[in-house]
Amino acid sequence: MIPVGWYLLLSATLFSIGLVGFIIRRDLIVMLMCLEIMFNAVNIAFASFSYYNANLIGQIFVLFSIAVAASEAVIGLAIVLALVRNTGINHSDDIANLRG
Amino acid sequence: MNQVIEQIFYIYFFISLTVFSIGVIASRNVIHSAFFLLIFLLHVAAIFLFLNAEFLMIIQIIVYVGGVLALFIFAIMIMNIKEELKHKRFVKFSIAGFSVGFLFLAGLYIFLRGVKSSENVLIKSDVTLLGKLLYSYYFLPFEILSLVLLIALIGGIIIARKTPFDREVK
Repeated sequence: MIPVGWYLLLSATLFSIGLVGFIIRRDLIVMLMCLEIMFNAVNIAFASFSYYNANLIGQIFVLFSIAVAASEAVIGLAIVLALVRNTGINHSDDIANLRG
Repeated sequence: MNQVIEQIFYIYFFISLTVFSIGVIASRNVIHSAFFLLIFLLHVAAIFLFLNAEFLMIIQIIVYVGGVLALFIFAIMIMNIKEELKHKRFVKFSIAGFSVGFLFLAGLYIFLRGVKSSENVLIKSDVTLLGKLLYSYYFLPFEILSLVLLIALIGGIIIARKTPFDREVK
Protein backbone atom coordinates (compact mmCIF):
# COMPACT_ATOMS: atom_id res chain seq x y z
CA MET A 1 0.00 0.00 0.00
CA ILE A 2 1.26 3.45 -0.92
CA PRO A 3 1.40 5.96 1.97
CA VAL A 4 -0.69 9.10 1.66
CA GLY A 5 2.43 11.25 1.92
CA TRP A 6 3.61 10.09 -1.50
CA TYR A 7 0.47 11.34 -3.20
CA LEU A 8 0.68 14.62 -1.33
CA LEU A 9 4.33 14.97 -2.32
CA LEU A 10 3.37 14.33 -5.96
CA SER A 11 0.64 16.93 -5.70
CA ALA A 12 2.98 19.49 -4.12
CA THR A 13 5.65 18.89 -6.76
CA LEU A 14 3.23 19.29 -9.66
CA PHE A 15 1.70 22.41 -8.12
CA SER A 16 5.15 23.96 -7.69
CA ILE A 17 6.11 23.16 -11.27
CA GLY A 18 2.88 24.71 -12.51
CA LEU A 19 3.48 27.78 -10.36
CA VAL A 20 7.02 28.23 -11.68
CA GLY A 21 5.79 27.79 -15.25
CA PHE A 22 3.02 30.31 -14.74
CA ILE A 23 5.49 32.88 -13.48
CA ILE A 24 8.35 32.40 -15.91
CA ARG A 25 6.74 31.63 -19.29
CA ARG A 26 5.93 34.49 -21.65
CA ASP A 27 3.31 32.86 -23.89
CA LEU A 28 -0.21 33.37 -22.62
CA ILE A 29 -1.40 29.96 -23.83
CA VAL A 30 1.38 28.13 -21.99
CA MET A 31 0.48 30.11 -18.88
CA LEU A 32 -3.07 28.75 -19.16
CA MET A 33 -1.64 25.23 -19.56
CA CYS A 34 0.29 25.74 -16.31
CA LEU A 35 -3.01 26.65 -14.67
CA GLU A 36 -4.36 23.29 -15.83
CA ILE A 37 -1.32 21.56 -14.30
CA MET A 38 -2.04 23.27 -10.97
CA PHE A 39 -5.71 22.24 -11.14
CA ASN A 40 -4.67 18.65 -11.72
CA ALA A 41 -2.28 18.71 -8.76
CA VAL A 42 -5.08 19.89 -6.49
CA ASN A 43 -7.37 17.20 -7.91
CA ILE A 44 -4.81 14.52 -7.05
CA ALA A 45 -4.69 15.83 -3.47
CA PHE A 46 -8.50 15.77 -3.22
CA ALA A 47 -8.74 12.23 -4.61
CA SER A 48 -6.01 10.93 -2.28
CA PHE A 49 -7.74 12.43 0.76
CA SER A 50 -10.94 10.83 -0.46
CA TYR A 51 -9.18 7.48 -0.69
CA TYR A 52 -7.43 7.55 2.66
CA ASN A 53 -10.44 8.85 4.59
CA ALA A 54 -12.78 6.27 2.97
CA ASN A 55 -15.12 9.07 1.96
CA LEU A 56 -16.65 9.82 -1.42
CA ILE A 57 -17.10 13.57 -0.90
CA GLY A 58 -13.57 14.29 -2.10
CA GLN A 59 -14.40 12.80 -5.48
CA ILE A 60 -17.47 15.05 -5.76
CA PHE A 61 -15.28 18.05 -5.11
CA VAL A 62 -12.90 16.88 -7.81
CA LEU A 63 -15.88 16.76 -10.16
CA PHE A 64 -16.79 20.36 -9.29
CA SER A 65 -13.17 21.39 -9.67
CA ILE A 66 -12.95 19.83 -13.13
CA ALA A 67 -16.08 21.70 -14.25
CA VAL A 68 -14.74 25.00 -12.91
CA ALA A 69 -11.39 24.31 -14.63
CA ALA A 70 -13.15 23.73 -17.94
CA SER A 71 -15.07 27.00 -17.72
CA GLU A 72 -11.89 28.79 -16.63
CA ALA A 73 -10.06 27.46 -19.69
CA VAL A 74 -12.89 28.67 -21.95
CA ILE A 75 -12.90 32.18 -20.51
CA GLY A 76 -9.09 32.40 -20.44
CA LEU A 77 -8.69 31.33 -24.04
CA ALA A 78 -11.43 33.74 -25.10
CA ILE A 79 -9.59 36.59 -23.37
CA VAL A 80 -6.30 35.58 -25.02
CA LEU A 81 -7.98 35.40 -28.43
CA ALA A 82 -9.59 38.81 -27.96
CA LEU A 83 -6.23 40.24 -26.86
CA VAL A 84 -4.42 38.78 -29.87
CA ARG A 85 -7.10 39.95 -32.24
CA ASN A 86 -7.28 43.49 -30.91
CA THR A 87 -3.64 44.26 -30.11
CA GLY A 88 -1.56 41.54 -31.74
CA ILE A 89 0.15 40.76 -28.44
CA ASN A 90 0.46 37.21 -27.16
CA HIS A 91 3.24 37.60 -24.63
CA SER A 92 2.57 38.42 -21.03
CA ASP A 93 5.37 40.97 -20.61
CA ASP A 94 4.35 42.96 -23.69
CA ILE A 95 1.02 43.94 -22.19
CA ALA A 96 1.93 47.36 -20.88
CA ASN A 97 -0.97 49.71 -21.52
CA LEU A 98 -4.17 49.98 -19.58
CA ARG A 99 -7.42 50.97 -21.35
CA GLY A 100 -5.62 50.13 -24.57
CA MET B 1 4.89 -8.78 -3.71
CA ASN B 2 1.76 -7.02 -4.81
CA GLN B 3 2.75 -3.93 -2.88
CA VAL B 4 6.16 -3.80 -4.50
CA ILE B 5 4.64 -3.86 -7.98
CA GLU B 6 2.21 -1.11 -6.96
CA GLN B 7 5.03 1.04 -5.64
CA ILE B 8 7.11 0.51 -8.78
CA PHE B 9 4.19 1.66 -10.91
CA TYR B 10 3.65 4.61 -8.61
CA ILE B 11 7.30 5.66 -8.91
CA TYR B 12 7.05 5.42 -12.70
CA PHE B 13 3.99 7.69 -12.68
CA PHE B 14 5.68 10.14 -10.30
CA ILE B 15 8.76 10.49 -12.50
CA SER B 16 6.83 10.69 -15.75
CA LEU B 17 4.34 13.25 -14.40
CA THR B 18 7.23 15.43 -13.24
CA VAL B 19 9.06 15.08 -16.55
CA PHE B 20 5.98 15.88 -18.64
CA SER B 21 5.01 18.88 -16.57
CA ILE B 22 8.55 20.22 -16.91
CA GLY B 23 8.24 19.51 -20.63
CA VAL B 24 5.13 21.67 -20.81
CA ILE B 25 6.94 24.69 -19.44
CA ALA B 26 10.30 24.07 -21.12
CA SER B 27 9.44 23.25 -24.72
CA ARG B 28 10.00 26.01 -27.23
CA ASN B 29 7.09 25.19 -29.52
CA VAL B 30 3.62 25.82 -28.10
CA ILE B 31 2.10 22.80 -29.83
CA HIS B 32 4.76 20.60 -28.19
CA SER B 33 3.61 21.98 -24.86
CA ALA B 34 0.05 20.99 -25.77
CA PHE B 35 1.11 17.42 -26.54
CA PHE B 36 3.12 17.18 -23.32
CA LEU B 37 -0.02 18.35 -21.55
CA LEU B 38 -1.99 15.58 -23.31
CA ILE B 39 0.30 12.85 -21.97
CA PHE B 40 0.33 14.56 -18.55
CA LEU B 41 -3.47 14.48 -18.34
CA LEU B 42 -3.60 10.81 -19.32
CA HIS B 43 -1.10 9.98 -16.57
CA VAL B 44 -3.19 11.91 -14.04
CA ALA B 45 -6.13 9.74 -15.13
CA ALA B 46 -4.01 6.70 -14.28
CA ILE B 47 -3.27 8.19 -10.84
CA PHE B 48 -7.04 8.46 -10.29
CA LEU B 49 -7.27 4.77 -11.09
CA PHE B 50 -4.75 4.10 -8.31
CA LEU B 51 -7.08 5.85 -5.88
CA ASN B 52 -10.19 3.76 -6.71
CA ALA B 53 -11.80 6.68 -8.52
CA GLU B 54 -12.83 5.16 -11.84
CA PHE B 55 -15.51 7.75 -12.50
CA LEU B 56 -12.98 10.54 -12.11
CA MET B 57 -10.67 8.79 -14.56
CA ILE B 58 -13.42 8.72 -17.19
CA ILE B 59 -14.36 12.34 -16.49
CA GLN B 60 -10.71 13.37 -16.67
CA ILE B 61 -10.28 11.79 -20.09
CA ILE B 62 -13.57 13.08 -21.48
CA VAL B 63 -13.44 16.63 -20.15
CA TYR B 64 -9.73 17.40 -20.17
CA VAL B 65 -8.40 15.43 -23.11
CA GLY B 66 -11.55 15.67 -25.18
CA GLY B 67 -12.61 19.19 -24.30
CA VAL B 68 -10.02 21.46 -22.78
CA LEU B 69 -7.05 20.20 -24.75
CA ALA B 70 -8.95 20.35 -28.05
CA LEU B 71 -9.81 23.95 -27.16
CA PHE B 72 -6.15 24.72 -26.53
CA ILE B 73 -5.13 23.21 -29.85
CA PHE B 74 -7.82 25.21 -31.69
CA ALA B 75 -6.61 28.39 -30.00
CA ILE B 76 -3.03 27.61 -31.01
CA MET B 77 -4.15 27.00 -34.59
CA ILE B 78 -5.90 30.36 -34.75
CA MET B 79 -2.74 32.17 -33.63
CA ASN B 80 0.41 32.36 -35.67
CA ILE B 81 3.09 29.97 -34.44
CA LYS B 82 5.78 30.64 -37.04
CA GLU B 83 6.62 33.98 -35.46
CA GLU B 84 6.48 32.40 -32.05
CA LEU B 85 9.59 30.29 -32.53
CA LYS B 86 11.90 33.27 -32.86
CA HIS B 87 10.97 34.82 -29.53
CA LYS B 88 12.51 33.88 -26.25
CA ARG B 89 10.56 31.67 -23.92
CA PHE B 90 11.05 33.08 -20.45
CA VAL B 91 10.57 36.45 -18.86
CA LYS B 92 13.52 38.44 -17.58
CA PHE B 93 12.98 37.75 -13.90
CA SER B 94 12.78 33.96 -14.21
CA ILE B 95 15.22 33.49 -11.30
CA ALA B 96 12.56 35.04 -9.07
CA GLY B 97 10.01 32.55 -10.38
CA PHE B 98 12.30 29.61 -9.68
CA SER B 99 13.01 30.82 -6.15
CA VAL B 100 9.30 31.36 -5.45
CA GLY B 101 8.53 27.83 -6.64
CA PHE B 102 11.36 26.33 -4.62
CA LEU B 103 10.31 28.15 -1.45
CA PHE B 104 6.70 27.04 -2.00
CA LEU B 105 7.75 23.41 -2.43
CA ALA B 106 9.98 23.56 0.64
CA GLY B 107 7.15 25.00 2.72
CA LEU B 108 4.72 22.35 1.55
CA TYR B 109 7.30 19.66 2.29
CA ILE B 110 7.72 20.90 5.85
CA PHE B 111 3.94 20.90 6.19
CA LEU B 112 3.42 17.32 5.00
CA ARG B 113 6.52 15.69 6.46
CA GLY B 114 4.78 14.14 9.45
CA VAL B 115 1.61 12.96 7.70
CA LYS B 116 0.29 9.54 8.65
CA SER B 117 -1.95 7.41 6.45
CA SER B 118 -4.92 5.61 7.95
CA GLU B 119 -5.61 1.93 7.48
CA ASN B 120 -9.24 1.95 6.37
CA VAL B 121 -9.10 3.08 2.77
CA LEU B 122 -11.90 3.56 0.27
CA ILE B 123 -13.29 0.24 -0.84
CA LYS B 124 -13.89 -0.47 -4.50
CA SER B 125 -17.28 1.10 -4.98
CA ASP B 126 -19.82 1.48 -7.71
CA VAL B 127 -20.42 4.77 -9.45
CA THR B 128 -24.01 4.53 -8.19
CA LEU B 129 -22.94 5.70 -4.74
CA LEU B 130 -21.32 8.79 -6.21
CA GLY B 131 -24.44 9.52 -8.25
CA LYS B 132 -26.72 9.14 -5.24
CA LEU B 133 -24.56 11.51 -3.20
CA LEU B 134 -24.41 13.98 -6.08
CA TYR B 135 -28.15 14.03 -6.67
CA SER B 136 -29.24 14.13 -3.03
CA TYR B 137 -26.91 16.03 -0.73
CA TYR B 138 -24.95 17.99 -3.32
CA PHE B 139 -27.89 18.68 -5.62
CA LEU B 140 -27.89 22.47 -5.24
CA PRO B 141 -24.13 22.87 -5.95
CA PHE B 142 -24.58 20.58 -8.94
CA GLU B 143 -27.32 22.79 -10.39
CA ILE B 144 -25.32 25.95 -9.68
CA LEU B 145 -22.43 24.30 -11.49
CA SER B 146 -24.56 23.80 -14.59
CA LEU B 147 -25.39 27.51 -14.45
CA VAL B 148 -21.67 28.34 -14.16
CA LEU B 149 -20.93 26.27 -17.26
CA LEU B 150 -23.74 27.96 -19.19
CA ILE B 151 -22.46 31.42 -18.24
CA ALA B 152 -18.92 30.41 -19.21
CA LEU B 153 -20.19 29.24 -22.61
CA ILE B 154 -22.06 32.47 -23.29
CA GLY B 155 -19.23 34.62 -21.94
CA GLY B 156 -16.64 32.81 -24.04
CA ILE B 157 -18.66 33.41 -27.18
CA ILE B 158 -19.25 37.08 -26.36
CA ILE B 159 -15.60 37.80 -25.50
CA ALA B 160 -14.06 35.98 -28.44
CA ARG B 161 -16.42 36.94 -31.26
CA LYS B 162 -15.54 39.52 -33.86
CA THR B 163 -17.06 42.89 -33.07
CA PRO B 164 -18.60 45.02 -35.84
CA PHE B 165 -15.67 47.43 -35.46
CA ASP B 166 -13.22 44.66 -36.42
CA ARG B 167 -15.18 43.86 -39.55
CA GLU B 168 -15.14 47.50 -40.62
CA VAL B 169 -11.36 47.65 -40.24
CA LYS B 170 -10.90 44.59 -42.39
